[in-house]
Amino acid sequence: MNPITEYTFYALSFLSILSGLMVIFSRNPVHSVLYLVLTFFTIAGHFLLMSAHFLAAVHVIVYSGAIMVLFLYVIMMLNLNKQPEGWSNFLQGMFWVFPSGLLLITLVGVLRAGSDMMTGAGKNIGTVENLGRVLFNDFLLPFEISSILFLAGMVGAVMVGKKES
Amino acid sequence: MDFITLVSLLRMELLLTAGLVVLLIYKIFYEGARDKMAGWFTVSVLLGTFLCGIFLPAEGGYFGGMFITGSLAGMEKSILSLGSVFIILFGRTWLENSRHELEFYLLILSVLLGMFFMISAGHLLMFYLGLELATLPLAALAVFDFNKSRSSEAGVKLILNSAFSSALLLFGASLVYGGSGTLYFPELNSAITFPASRGSSFLLLAGFSFLFTGFAFKISAVPFHLWTADVYEGAPVPVTAFLSVISKGAALFVFVAVLYRVFPLYSETWSLVTGLMGALTMVIGNLFAMRQGNLKRFLAFSSITQVGFLLVGVASASQLGHAAVLYFMLIYLFSNLGAFAVVSVIADKTGKETLSDYRGLYKTNPMLALALLVALFSLAGIPPTAGFFGKLFLLNSGASSGMIYLVIFACMNMVVSLYYYLRVVKAMFVDTSDDPIPHFNSGLPVKIVLACSVLGIILLGFFGGLFDYFTSLTFGLQ
Repeated sequence: MNPITEYTFYALSFLSILSGLMVIFSRNPVHSVLYLVLTFFTIAGHFLLMSAHFLAAVHVIVYSGAIMVLFLYVIMMLNLNKQPEGWSNFLQGMFWVFPSGLLLITLVGVLRAGSDMMTGAGKNIGTVENLGRVLFNDFLLPFEISSILFLAGMVGAVMVGKKES
Repeated sequence: MDFITLVSLLRMELLLTAGLVVLLIYKIFYEGARDKMAGWFTVSVLLGTFLCGIFLPAEGGYFGGMFITGSLAGMEKSILSLGSVFIILFGRTWLENSRHELEFYLLILSVLLGMFFMISAGHLLMFYLGLELATLPLAALAVFDFNKSRSSEAGVKLILNSAFSSALLLFGASLVYGGSGTLYFPELNSAITFPASRGSSFLLLAGFSFLFTGFAFKISAVPFHLWTADVYEGAPVPVTAFLSVISKGAALFVFVAVLYRVFPLYSETWSLVTGLMGALTMVIGNLFAMRQGNLKRFLAFSSITQVGFLLVGVASASQLGHAAVLYFMLIYLFSNLGAFAVVSVIADKTGKETLSDYRGLYKTNPMLALALLVALFSLAGIPPTAGFFGKLFLLNSGASSGMIYLVIFACMNMVVSLYYYLRVVKAMFVDTSDDPIPHFNSGLPVKIVLACSVLGIILLGFFGGLFDYFTSLTFGLQ
């Protein structure tokens, strides 16, 4: 690995962990959401380092662009950015134990199997070119059908959402 | 050359897609034009696919095995198209009050297209996409009565439940992929070994059970039926008819194909589970149908019971059972859609849909009452009608696979179901009412549907060659 890639990796990792922590520790929900957007951007950076260009672009567009903006709107519209009673309430219940435990098990599993994974994938598997080739050769029919699926969904949504006059 | 193969193999799907595009363009240029053209156009497209599937079924695969079709797939698609024709015809009385007539046809066509791809899928991804295309627009159809809150409730329940069952299916698919390393059905079949020596078998078994559960949701077999009653009651009658006949039929066809083709090695397990599920489904469906005073809800629960009988054929794991499922589905289509057509037209013209409203129907509307009588007799399985032969073949397949207790149990349930079918008949013919449903003209499309379904119910039972033909199309376990 060349040193520039390595330093970028460490910087990105530091940033993503930091912003991930800030998501939890911010008292203001709007700040939390903004930190989450930052986390997504740093993860997209990780994808770029792994030469998964398409995934990086989609990650930014879908997660940071669409989903997080939606979150932000919901929080602002529901007027949730009042001062909450503090996150100690959240930690007092034992709800967090189960999901955190699951995550821990998954992480341990991944780390143990990690050495196999690093050698497994080809170097350029995630590039836009390769993805396009797969999409338009092997998966042409599903790709085309998904367009009809979107069309039908759109017709339904417009019909339900349109104001009756 | 390549292009010609493509067009000829996907002819039914391309016909539907062309219909979709024409309807969309029509909508753009003739917004608000109120004429009958769109309805008849959709009906003719569907009749085209119906004839195409029976007389000109394509044979072969394309897209590297993602799309596989044959005469069995053609026949199944034809059955679904025919049912949709009926629903559009008798739904027109109801659609006349709606501003979104064209969207109804668009959505029906896209749902049907999804079912076609689902039936022809040779790959789990294709199957999943077809399934989504066959369920998402249905939620939009279920909310079609915009001024009724029950209708929107039905839509929301439908979309939440289908999302949940799709999630189960997807999770199952991912486990199956993890266990076998492929998503193509033929390769999956050969990847499954039993009793497996490697650890992958656990993943496969877990994935299979998730897939199975997802399917059970789609065909609303007990204990996965809880969403059905509310959705069926809230949705407009033609949509309910579509859900209870066409959607269930498509899901069942694929269910059988996946069980028989992909997982034949687990047959001992799934045969037992399907049989138990069938028995439960019959009992629960019967118990609930008995208590219903609302005809729509009554038909919804009776359709759950019918799925229970169908599951006997599925559980038999034989070619006979497969043919019986196909045959029964065709008969069920005629009988249930005939019954729904009567209920729908009465609800549209008079707004009445409870059992007590139907008292004395024979005196005022003899033809409607007679059509409903034939349909209900066929649903109950009374001999001269086709429903009897359908159930006979289903039970026969169960008995020939050695499931005697299940068959006896099913027979007892048939007797129980006679009670509530005949209760409706008694209300129409024997009871009198001070305030009967007034006489009305039901219109040409409804008359066509009723004539077709009555003819179908009477003729299909005697036309024995059809069952032999179905047997030649179908397959049992390899």
